[in-house]
Amino acid sequence: MNLNTLYLAVAGLVLAPLLGGLVAGVDRVVTAKLQSRMGPPLFQPFYDVGKLWSKVIAPASHWQGLFVRWALVASLASDVVLAAGGDVLMCFFVQAASASFVALGAFCGNSPYGKLGAQRELFQLLAYEPVFMVGILCMAKAAGGFDAFSIMAAQGQPLLFKLPLIVPGLLFAVLVKLRKSPFDIAASHHMHQEVVRGVYTDYAGRDFALLEIAHWADVTVVLWICSFLWATGPLQMLATGLVFLFAALIIDNISARLTWRTMLKTVAPLTLILATANLVWLYLE
Amino acid sequence: MFGSFLKTSQVKSPWLLHFDCGSCNGCDIETLACLTPVYDVERFGIINVGNPRHADVLVVTGTVNQRNAVILKNLYDQMPSPKLVIAVGACGCSGGVFREAPNVLGGIDKVIPVDVYVPGCPAKPEAIMDAVVTGLAKLKGILEASK
Amino acid sequence: MIDAYIGLLVLWPVAAGLACLGLRGQAARSALVLGTAAVLAAAAVGLATQAPLTASPAFLSSATALHAAKGASFLFPAYFLFVGLKEKHALVIGFALLQLGLAAFGEFGLPAPALVQTAVVCDGLSLALVLVVSLVGTLISVFALPYMRHHEEHLHLKTSRQPQFFMILLAFLGFMNGLALANDLHVFSAFYEATTLCSFLLLGHDQTAEAKKSGLRALWMNSMGGVFLHAGILLIQKQHGLADIQALVDPALWTGLSLLPIALLAVAACVKAAQLPFQAWLLGAMVAPTPVSALLHSSTMVKVGVFLCLRLAPVLEGTTTGRVLTLAGAFTFLGASALALGQSNAKKILAYSTAANLGLIIACAGIGTPVAIAAGVVLMVVHAATKGLLFLCVGDMEQAIGSRDLEDLRGMIARTPVTALAAAAGSMAMILPPLGMLAGKWATLEAASASPMSMVMMAVGSALAVVCWVRFTGTLMSGVAVAVNPAPTSSLSTGPVLTMLAGVVGLGMAAPWLNAMLLPVGQAIMLPDGWALLPPLFITAMLAWILGMKVLGRQSAAKLATPYLGGLPSAAPGSFVGALGRNWTLSEGNEYATELFGEAKLTKIAGVLASVLLLALVGGALL
Repeated sequence: MNLNTLYLAVAGLVLAPLLGGLVAGVDRVVTAKLQSRMGPPLFQPFYDVGKLWSKVIAPASHWQGLFVRWALVASLASDVVLAAGGDVLMCFFVQAASASFVALGAFCGNSPYGKLGAQRELFQLLAYEPVFMVGILCMAKAAGGFDAFSIMAAQGQPLLFKLPLIVPGLLFAVLVKLRKSPFDIAASHHMHQEVVRGVYTDYAGRDFALLEIAHWADVTVVLWICSFLWATGPLQMLATGLVFLFAALIIDNISARLTWRTMLKTVAPLTLILATANLVWLYLE
Repeated sequence: MFGSFLKTSQVKSPWLLHFDCGSCNGCDIETLACLTPVYDVERFGIINVGNPRHADVLVVTGTVNQRNAVILKNLYDQMPSPKLVIAVGACGCSGGVFREAPNVLGGIDKVIPVDVYVPGCPAKPEAIMDAVVTGLAKLKGILEASK
Repeated sequence: MIDAYIGLLVLWPVAAGLACLGLRGQAARSALVLGTAAVLAAAAVGLATQAPLTASPAFLSSATALHAAKGASFLFPAYFLFVGLKEKHALVIGFALLQLGLAAFGEFGLPAPALVQTAVVCDGLSLALVLVVSLVGTLISVFALPYMRHHEEHLHLKTSRQPQFFMILLAFLGFMNGLALANDLHVFSAFYEATTLCSFLLLGHDQTAEAKKSGLRALWMNSMGGVFLHAGILLIQKQHGLADIQALVDPALWTGLSLLPIALLAVAACVKAAQLPFQAWLLGAMVAPTPVSALLHSSTMVKVGVFLCLRLAPVLEGTTTGRVLTLAGAFTFLGASALALGQSNAKKILAYSTAANLGLIIACAGIGTPVAIAAGVVLMVVHAATKGLLFLCVGDMEQAIGSRDLEDLRGMIARTPVTALAAAAGSMAMILPPLGMLAGKWATLEAASASPMSMVMMAVGSALAVVCWVRFTGTLMSGVAVAVNPAPTSSLSTGPVLTMLAGVVGLGMAAPWLNAMLLPVGQAIMLPDGWALLPPLFITAMLAWILGMKVLGRQSAAKLATPYLGGLPSAAPGSFVGALGRNWTLSEGNEYATELFGEAKLTKIAGVLASVLLLALVGGALL
């Protein structure tokens, strides 16, 4: 633990959520352009959060405020772990804790839509977590270490060439974490669907604003880990992250939502099998 | 700086809750037309949400009757303040041609306070968007006054 | 002094148990159990201050003691045979006869093994088990005092059967301590059989048809484990002429030799640890009174299995047998986690989760490196405390509402707030970083880098466990259930629950240092590798806790919003006003995804696959 790590950690704490907010802005502009609309300003997500911050509303449960803050702390902590070059697997566990808190808060609420969303949120977690974890195991195996620095440092040749089969799994996880079609199952991204806003239904006002910031932090973590696939330099990493983001946006705009059964029975096993094959392949080498 | 950012945000991110309170669907079609690429209300940060707990602006089309008055009131109550209500179309403003029907109470201002009235049968998308912008100006005025 | 500690740990509970048999009075029994709890806790802590140590107390090392242990290897199977004949249970009879045959062969057909020099070796692993038994086990015994009184009131018994119950319960703790400390294989196997007997008696305690059935099932399965154990011991006696456990687990002893005896012992351990396909006896344990299931699941019985595996682990490092055992453990982690997810019966969820976590520990043992063994011991200790807590909580809630179905436990936070919150905290301690269970799971995942398939299985199992426990907690804390008048509680039942909760959190936080203590000297100066990440995460978690509590304090005074029900108003909690102004009740339920995680189908598939793995374990060592 030296001063350098501390700087990196603080940078992660501050910049990662901002980056996530920017990603959300890019997402909305690009989506609008894909639909031949103008779309909102780039900083619209920040305005949204700013507005939600000053809304006055009664909570749906006494416990929600607590879980929202825990989710936020967990999401930010996972950013910090990654920024400070910590263990990527632990970073991922911390990030998964954040998702658990979001679901728990929804369980505590009083709207059936929120609870339905919470169940679906858990099934989403079940679907993407294993494949993402196997992806991290592959990266660690290929790079020879679990901490972010050694994964980033071990790149004479981009990891992508050794790990092509984990790409579908990572993309699946990105779609789920960005809450994009076809996997916006727990918190329907687009308006007026049968689950209303799913797991987010009961959150409102400042709690919802904090949850949005937590979501930004999550998005940064997931895209960041994906960018390890081509980590020969900071620009290359940024480009890799953007490639994943744009792929997700295009898939979002050309697909309809799947049911959680399809996700759990088809997509999750398929991506998991591919990623596992890649892992075994690394061992046979 | 943070305070002024919050103030700006309040008028830059109006999320709409659209409630069809017994409309003939004419005004609903025009309201939804605002989302299409032709009008693209998302330019103003407007999103159509399905949940009153996330909404800032309640857009109501159609007349209020005995059955749906309680739901309209409930939706309004579930919205966090500060909030705006926009009555769209002749029916929403006054009950329109249905105002004398036995089950109809009249315009939605019989149940909840209305900030902006949009006339027309049906109301034009431009008029609806204008109403939102007018409503936000009003909201800005309220926020300035409260400072 | 050390001999006195060991004597207290092993003999005192047995003696106190016998005394219980003579005491009919409630107050005297309570005093005795509380006293035993204090004595055991003090002796265990006393022993911990002296560890690591070796000793040879007379009652474990004298010739008489060894004769008694030899005698026990005939007496226990003979009793099982008697039970089998009385109940006309073919499997019990068969395995008892096999055990008798093996014991006779060992006694008369083979030369006696070299005398064991030190009767007691107490290293980190033994000490961990002793502490678990003496602290968690005794807390459960204290909890049993009010529980069994209610339980018997409920059953309307003419004469109380509590004396017998507490006799077995306390003696069980003594046997467990003996098992943890014994360094002679024969003494170990005598204690092993004693735990089988205790579990059989405790499971059948209620004397209903169901209790009898599950008792007999536990008996035949565990005596099958006994057969494997005896076979393993005989082979060791034949190959090496040894009975000294410490000498046996030296990898140098086994170079170039078949690991068949070790594989047999590992199978015996898998039976005790209720690994797939042997999980049935542990599921039967949930029909027994809660203290019994809590004891069997957390601090005794199943821990015998993982203890044995971890003891053998140094031999397994880098061997094929070790790799297959890792696979088998990881497979149980995956399979049992999936089975747990499809359950709505709260005690079955706990049971499957126990099997799953023990699978993880056995996987650690199969890996066999010092890092993996340390992670396994940490998991064992933290799991005992956490699972003990969860069982006590579920038992308490079950007594309050008369059902153990998760759907009936919905919103329990309004009815038994203390227990429900403790259960919520316990289930969160199963999955949340940076607490012990998750840290152990994570360390295991990273230690398993030699076995890609087991890593994948662990990854999937871990996700299944997260979903299962979040749903469990969410259901307990669910918001709509209408508050009924809170159930009355006894300080003897909330006391252990709260103490255990404190222990769970404390242990959860102490895990990195616990882990560092268990690593061989030299590696233990600083927190190794990623473990150093945990203390900053604790600080973060503490800050989050404070922040959360402040917000909770602020929000708990707030008037709650009306629920969003598509715009329909709600007249009372848990209902909405629908057509014609009628009040409709809102009902909700969890999605158990039984088409994926259904018990009937999954048990069959998982059973077959797990059997294949165990056959590979024995067969691989045979070849």
